[in-house]
Amino acid sequence: MKSIILLCSAGMSTSLLVSKMQKEAKERNLELHIEAYGTSMVDEASKVADVILLGPQVRFQLQDIKKRVSVPVEAINMRDYGMMNGKAVLDQALQLMGDL
Amino acid sequence: MQGLELISFEIISSVGMARSCFIEAMRKAREGLFEEAQSLIKEGEGYFIEGHRAHTRLIQFEASGEPLVLTILLTHAQDQLMSAEGFKIIAEEFIHTYQKMN
Repeated sequence: MKSIILLCSAGMSTSLLVSKMQKEAKERNLELHIEAYGTSMVDEASKVADVILLGPQVRFQLQDIKKRVSVPVEAINMRDYGMMNGKAVLDQALQLMGDL
Repeated sequence: MQGLELISFEIISSVGMARSCFIEAMRKAREGLFEEAQSLIKEGEGYFIEGHRAHTRLIQFEASGEPLVLTILLTHAQDQLMSAEGFKIIAEEFIHTYQKMN
């Protein structure tokens, strides 16, 4: 099963986005592991993730994290994050994994 | 998603972007890239204003007598707002300092 890991400062606000994405994945009959981590857990995240997405509050760490992991890393669009748009963020993750 | 929850996320997302810009600005200044640093401060200010507007809506909401339910999420949003505000001041000071050193 592929894993999508979302990173934010404490993994708190992002966990709601995770549940929205899980709901969307279920509706599409996709078997995916989606979880939120804090950025202090980037090494753990890189062990399980097929793709990593960053919340707006940690976007400044994008370049650092890119250097540390071998999977695709991107920042989540601010509007999609602000609207908790699970559909759009799931699409972004799938696209990065080459599954869309 | 309920109104209050949506506004909380709007704040978190906007001021989160602002804070990221302010931190990136300090890093650019550290590398001597002062124009880029300044434009990141400007970009961050734009995002911060968006977050601030959302926050103002909340205050108006409360002032109109609507009961405002205090959630962890809203507390987090206010915390992020404060953090972004503080980072802007720090970033500007850092840029000045790096300019003097340059």
